[in-house]
Amino acid sequence: MKSLRGVGPVQSVLWAIALVVLIVLPFTSAPFRVEQYITWMTIAVAAGGLNLLTGYNGQISVGHGALYGTGAYTVAILVTDAEWPLLPTVIAAAVVCFMVGVIIGLPALRIKGLYLALVTLAVATLFPLVIEQFSDLTGGSGGLTLTSEQLYRGSIRDRRVKWESPIDGLASDQWKYFIFLGISIVCFVVIAAIVKSRVGRSLVAIRDNETAAEVSGINVSRTKIITFGVSAGIAGIGGAMFALNKGQVNPTSFTLTLSIYLLVAVVLGGASTVIGPAIGAVIYGVFIDVIAPELPETLESATPLILGTLLVAQMLMAPSGIVGWFHDLTEKVSRRRQGGGKQDKNVDVTVTTHEVVAETDLETDPGGFHP
Amino acid sequence: MSTNWKGLAALGCALVLIGSACGRDDGDDSSSDSDNGDSSSEEGAFINPSEDCDAYDGTAGVDGDTIKIGTIRPADGPYAIYDQVTSGLDAWVESTNANGGVTAGDGNTYQIELIKENDGYDPGRTPELAKKLVEQEGVFAIVGVIGTESNKAIRDYLNDECVPNIALATGSTEWGRADEYPWYIAGLPSYATEASMWVDYLEETNPDAQIALLYQDDDFGEAYRATLQKEIEGTDMEILAEQSYNPLSGGSTEAATVSLSQSGADTFIVGLGGTPCPATLTFMPDTWTPETFISVTCGGNTALSLAGGKDVGVLLAQAVYEPGDPADQDQPAVQEFMTNGAAGGLDEGQLTGGISSVGWSFGALFGAGLEESDTVDRAAIMNTLFSLEDASFGLIRDEMDITTDGGEDPWPLEGFRIVSRTADGSWEEVMPFNNKNGESNEIAG
Amino acid sequence: MRPSRKRIWGSDAKSLSGRGPPVNNFLEILVVGIGNGATYAMLGLGLVVIYRSTGLLNFASGELAMFSTFIVWTFWNLGFPMWLAILGGMLGGFLIGVLVHKVAVSPLGDPHERPLAVVIVTIGLFLGLNGAAQLIWGTVDKRLDPWFGVSQITVGGVAIAWQKIGAVVVLFVMVLLLWALFKFTKVGLSMRAVASNSESSALCGVSVQNMLMLGWGMAAGIGTLAGVFSAPNLGLGTNLMQLTLVFGFAAIVLGGFDSILGAVVGGFVVGILSSVVPQYITVFEKMPLAPAFILILAVLLFRPQGLFGSKDVARV
Repeated sequence: MKSLRGVGPVQSVLWAIALVVLIVLPFTSAPFRVEQYITWMTIAVAAGGLNLLTGYNGQISVGHGALYGTGAYTVAILVTDAEWPLLPTVIAAAVVCFMVGVIIGLPALRIKGLYLALVTLAVATLFPLVIEQFSDLTGGSGGLTLTSEQLYRGSIRDRRVKWESPIDGLASDQWKYFIFLGISIVCFVVIAAIVKSRVGRSLVAIRDNETAAEVSGINVSRTKIITFGVSAGIAGIGGAMFALNKGQVNPTSFTLTLSIYLLVAVVLGGASTVIGPAIGAVIYGVFIDVIAPELPETLESATPLILGTLLVAQMLMAPSGIVGWFHDLTEKVSRRRQGGGKQDKNVDVTVTTHEVVAETDLETDPGGFHP
Repeated sequence: MSTNWKGLAALGCALVLIGSACGRDDGDDSSSDSDNGDSSSEEGAFINPSEDCDAYDGTAGVDGDTIKIGTIRPADGPYAIYDQVTSGLDAWVESTNANGGVTAGDGNTYQIELIKENDGYDPGRTPELAKKLVEQEGVFAIVGVIGTESNKAIRDYLNDECVPNIALATGSTEWGRADEYPWYIAGLPSYATEASMWVDYLEETNPDAQIALLYQDDDFGEAYRATLQKEIEGTDMEILAEQSYNPLSGGSTEAATVSLSQSGADTFIVGLGGTPCPATLTFMPDTWTPETFISVTCGGNTALSLAGGKDVGVLLAQAVYEPGDPADQDQPAVQEFMTNGAAGGLDEGQLTGGISSVGWSFGALFGAGLEESDTVDRAAIMNTLFSLEDASFGLIRDEMDITTDGGEDPWPLEGFRIVSRTADGSWEEVMPFNNKNGESNEIAG
Repeated sequence: MRPSRKRIWGSDAKSLSGRGPPVNNFLEILVVGIGNGATYAMLGLGLVVIYRSTGLLNFASGELAMFSTFIVWTFWNLGFPMWLAILGGMLGGFLIGVLVHKVAVSPLGDPHERPLAVVIVTIGLFLGLNGAAQLIWGTVDKRLDPWFGVSQITVGGVAIAWQKIGAVVVLFVMVLLLWALFKFTKVGLSMRAVASNSESSALCGVSVQNMLMLGWGMAAGIGTLAGVFSAPNLGLGTNLMQLTLVFGFAAIVLGGFDSILGAVVGGFVVGILSSVVPQYITVFEKMPLAPAFILILAVLLFRPQGLFGSKDVARV
């Protein structure tokens, strides 16, 4: 893997451990858990796409749930209406969402910051209604179910698709897991490649100072529009994986809540770090799927309260997210150990996290004056 | 990529922790002996598990004298009100256990353990929770899952696994397809049957009714609409105007109601659930006084207390005793519910609200199946529930002829009476109970 | 069973067939729109007050209004007269607003420097307030009686609920009060000074932090009224304001983010459009939110300062 080049021995070991864990996991978990892991992957991929836009490029989208939903519906419509085979629909979803992203990216050139957040919030709210409005295509509130013909109770019937594993000893959920793990890794490798490339540096430059970026020869408009498209395309892949994993789409799966969760995953894990959104998605998934159901019943309905409080607290205390916080911590430790003399040799990603930290240093008074 | 490895490692560690916490059982649970369901394999029974199930385990979830059941409902989000239904189910379980348990047909007395999962009314989440209940918790049956779409989302899975899904908390006409999905039995009457009762009443009282229809823009409202259209065909009745309403839309039903009020209709059908139903009554202009029908889903005190007094005189097709109705207070079923429901943890508002009592009846339907079956076996219970003969359970009215016959007649509840709301919160009968046994599927078309 | 899906959107026969004659109910629908518009305007006023004092778009303001409406309900349910309950709720909202500003918002600094942080914190508040309300008041919608009762008067054949007339009157009283506050009182002048230039007003002895806190508190108090007028229509539940918020935003986008008059005009326009358009244009039938959205997009693209906003809003 390209991204492993120049990585120290300790890092390689940790990557290897992570890889082993990801491979072993489906064999040690119940099938329903494996399907939940796949859901976390879909959120991770979509959050990774959102991170390109919001973390690296500074365009805030509270509406990526709508793009995720567009990807999911693209898959469902292609499979149910046009009878496409399952996996090619992922590519179609990416293309459709890329185009939708470019279209949304055009007005986003003029609408920035909090105002863009406002518009995208409205998009997220509107999405399920659009689905209901065009129910002839989308199935309305009943949604669409991905079916195939199966033999049951003596006759051939349309039933929910199953992922038949071609490999002996690999259960259907495990097979599905590895397919989606593969797609997710590809997405993150692409994201990492974009971030490390010159394009990635222009994204950050535009975020930090648009005029300066323009002066230094970056085509700001084109870059921003294409970023919106790519980000949307990746979110669409996440949504496509969702539809294929669940075998169904339904408007209530794509409400504003989903968009908020994607944003939470990005910020919690660490905006403008490649792996941050994946970590945020997993933490969020663990919270919702593993911890919340175990809470005593009176606290179960308190999950939004806990989540909201954590979010505010994190923004105030560790605004660079878990990866940023973890990085600061290890850096402090290594500085102390090495007398602070030696520089971290892997600076490239570090720079971006540092910028976020610097940018978010707490300031109690916007006027800079304490009464 | 320099800092990212740390993150990835952290991700890996987290995953290992979760993985090990719920380690997969290598020996497949469901492959254990399948020869214990003698009664279930009877000749001629509706379900024959040895034919329909790959790896049938009829007694999964039965551990000594405890039977584990599961349910899925929204506990947060905009539909969290339906959690009140599950509170009723919970109260049935609690009070049944406190009173010693259910004495099943095999002569043993069982305690019930209820495990509740929260899908937030998102059918995208329901399947994994159903699988969790079956795979991890190992429940015997699933009872009272809320919502048409949520139940549809787990239908193939539960039928493949041969896990009973009893007393679905929805009246979608989908549940008439028992031949295809024999492990599903509805807990409410079909919405279509309800609508046909309205038409029956109108035929007697207002044969050339001019109808204004406001219906919820989903499977539930569509069932009302389709049935009305079908049932008034060939009569002098007419749907003069109709409007749909989507609860997600962010608007109220006010514009739709006001628009319908201008149609000149003399009959108003409010095919809505939840708060929009009583809210619609408050939006009706004083100048418009049609005969108004409301959906059975908002016939309880909790919903109608939101109507600000404008619920007086509305009509309803009613199938159950209303614990909040002074006229029903003397019914033994109601008295039992008031006593045991309170002991099971329901507060005053829940007892008389008309929502939790529905969930109570769901539990009672499961209990009835358990009591009437010769053995405690998944298929045996389903076969029992699909061959009921004038049974009775929970808060269902005595006039109801609860009779089922497999795929021929899969609906336990098919009768209603028409009642009118009085100023003191009672329901007054305006058309006597009518059983439409075995007709629900035909009505639904 | 669901009928098989047709692929042509336009040929959806059912949306056309059942409609009553559209002409004779326009006035009635207009009245509905004006009633809703008054509510959106109230929510919009709260947003404007926050924007004026802190430059922030508050995504939690709907939930703040919902929460304080529950406080109103609690007082009212205890037997307090409605006006007193509303005052109690406004005061409660005020205190929560002040607290929110102090704890969560003021440490963030200039909202337009760090938009992502603002979005995340206000969304965190959104989730938190919603969860807290469900924890405290449960999942069953509460009945809050209309402040001005359920009776109606008929004007020229059109029935108008007194509640609607009351909403419009309350809105105008509120606008007058706000106008007087900003125009004539020392506090109001200080708030305006802080908003336009916090550094120099600090030098003049104005307590910037106190003024910002006051802005948040006032906004939350005003939002309470939006909740009080929405709750009887929608039922008082935790999702009371989630979608109403978008209408409120549409109102202030149209009117201009910092204009009180704009919020009022914008509120009525949005209220009327979102009631009338779905009744007449089939493609918007199920999306009353869509006209509001198109309005937001169009105004931000072509006239970012809105109808009545000051020009410098456009700079961002």
